[in-house]
Amino acid sequence: MNSEGLILFFLLGLTLVGFAIVFSYFIPRKSENLQKYETYECGIPTYGLSWIQFNVGYYLFAIMFLIFDVEAVFLFPWAVVMKELKMVAFIEILIFFVILGLGLMYAWKKQALKWE
Amino acid sequence: MSIQSFLLMRHELMLIIIALIVLIAEIFTPDHKKGIITPLAIILFSISLIVGFLPAIEGNLFGGMYNTSSLIVLMKNILNIGVFIILLQSNKWINLLDNRIKISEFYILLFITLTGMFYMISSGDFLMFYIGLETATIPIAALVAFDRYNNKSAEGGIKLILSSALSSGILLFGISLIFGTTGSIYFKDVVGMVSANDSMMILGFIFFISGISFKISLVPFHLWAADVYEGAPVSITSYLSVISKGAAVFIFMIVLYSVFNSISDIWKNLIYVIAIATITIGNLFALRQDNFKRYLAFSSIAQAGFILLGLISGTELGMASVVYYVLVYVFSNLAAFGVVSIISFQTGKENISDYNGLYKTNPKLSLALTLSLFSLAGIPPVAGFFGKFFLFTAAAEKGYYILVLIALLNTIISLYYYLMPIKAMFINKSDNPIQTFKTDITSKIALAICLVGMVLVGFSSTFFETILKYCFGI
Repeated sequence: MNSEGLILFFLLGLTLVGFAIVFSYFIPRKSENLQKYETYECGIPTYGLSWIQFNVGYYLFAIMFLIFDVEAVFLFPWAVVMKELKMVAFIEILIFFVILGLGLMYAWKKQALKWE
Repeated sequence: MSIQSFLLMRHELMLIIIALIVLIAEIFTPDHKKGIITPLAIILFSISLIVGFLPAIEGNLFGGMYNTSSLIVLMKNILNIGVFIILLQSNKWINLLDNRIKISEFYILLFITLTGMFYMISSGDFLMFYIGLETATIPIAALVAFDRYNNKSAEGGIKLILSSALSSGILLFGISLIFGTTGSIYFKDVVGMVSANDSMMILGFIFFISGISFKISLVPFHLWAADVYEGAPVSITSYLSVISKGAAVFIFMIVLYSVFNSISDIWKNLIYVIAIATITIGNLFALRQDNFKRYLAFSSIAQAGFILLGLISGTELGMASVVYYVLVYVFSNLAAFGVVSIISFQTGKENISDYNGLYKTNPKLSLALTLSLFSLAGIPPVAGFFGKFFLFTAAAEKGYYILVLIALLNTIISLYYYLMPIKAMFINKSDNPIQTFKTDITSKIALAICLVGMVLVGFSSTFFETILKYCFGI
C-alpha cells in the first residue's frame, strides 16, 4: 500500500465526521426557544454562573464511586476465566481486593467519607 | 506460570510492595508520628536498590507482554540509583511543617511513577507500554502540583496533565494506526510487518515518535518543560528532568532498535532533524534564563538532543553510549539540582543572580555546583566529557559529520551558559550574598554520591565496558 491508502483514510475520516455534523443539522425538527441554547438543558431555567466554588466533597465522592465502579468492571473478565485458572485467579483477585481495600481505608483515614 | 517466574518482575514487585507498606504505615500511624515514614521509605527503597543489583535471569512473562534482559535490568538500576539520590535530597524538604500531612503521598506517588516507568521499559507490546506510560505520567502531575498553595506549582501540574493528555492522544492514535496496519500489538509480531512502503504504518510511527518526544521534551514538543520545571518543587523537577526523561529515552531506544529497525532510514532522517533543532533551541533558550530551574530545564532539553546523537548511529556503540550518557547525566544533573534544592530550601532563592559571591560564603556547595556544571558542559576531568565523547564517536562512526559538527558548535555555545553561574559564584561581587549555612546530612550524602559517581564513572572504564557488553545494534 502506498500513499493512496493514506489519502483515502483522511478523506474517509473527513467525510464521516462532516457527514455526521451536516446530517444532524438537517435531520431534526427545529424548535426555537430560549432554553434550547442553554449549555445544560434540563427544563428549568438556570440561574447564576457555573464558575462558583462548590464543595470538594462532591468530587471525592465521585472519585470513590468511580473506583468501585471500575472494580466491578474488572470482576467480569475475572469471572469468565475463573473456571480455567482456578486458584491462581482467586489469589490474584484477592490481592486486587486487598489493594483496593487499603485504598478505601486510606480514604477513610483522610476523612474523605465524612460529609462536612 | 510459576511463582518463580514472578522473580523476573522483581524491580516492579518490590516497588509496589514498598508503596503498599508506606500506605499501610500511613493508615496506621497517628498524626504526630508521621516522621517515621521518611526513614521507612528510604530504608525500604535502599533494600530494593540492592536487590535490583543481584544477578538477573532473562525471560518474558504474560505471553511476551513483559520481558526483561540484562540491559533492561541495568537501565532499571540506573533509574533506581537516581531515585535513591532524589529521596536523600528531598528528605529535609518533605519533613517541613507544610508538607508533613502528605509525606507518605509523596513516597507512594514517587514509587508508583517509577513502577510505571519500569513496566514501560520492560514492555513487550504497545498495550503494556501505554499502561506503563500513563502510570508514570499521572502521578507526576500530582507531584508537580505538590505545593498546592503555590500558584506556580498548581499551574505546572495543570500544564503537565493537559500536555501529556494531548501527547497520549497522539501516541494512542499512532498505536492504533500501527495496529491497524500490522494486526498486532506485540512488538515481536510488529517487527516482521514493518515496511517502509506502507505509508499508513509510517504515519502511525510518526505519531508514536511524537508521543514519546513529548515525554523526553524534544524540540517541537518541548513547550511544557520550562513552566512545569519552574513550578514544581525542586525534588520533583529533578525527578522529571532525570528519571522521567531517562526512562523515556531508554524505551525510545529499545523500540527504535528492536521494533522499527527495518525502517531505520526513515527514523534516522527524523532524528537527524529533531536532534539539530533540540540541541540548538535548547541551548539558545538556556542562554537567557535567570531562574535556575528554568535554566536547567532548557539545559536538559539540550542534553536530550545530545543523547539523540548516540541513538541515530544504530550501532552497539551508539546504544552503549546512550545508556552511559544517561548514567552520567543522572549523576551530574542530580548534583546540580541537589545544590539548587539545598539553596532554595535554606534561603528560598532560585535565581542565578542570587548566587553572586556564593564561593565566599559557601565554598563547598559552589565547588560541587561547578563540578556538576563542568560535567554537563563536557569539560574533561569529569564524566560528562566521556559521555559526550562516546556519543559523538558513535555518530561520527556512521558518517554523520555535519550533525557532529553542529553538536560541537552547540557544545561551545553551551559552555557560555554553563560557565555563567560559575562566574556568578566565583567572580561577581555581591552586597547581599547568600549567608553561610549548614547543609543537612542526607543532602550532603546525596551530593557526595553524585560527585563520586561523576568522577568514578568518567575515570573507570569498567562502567562503559559493562554497559557495552549488554548492548545490541540494529
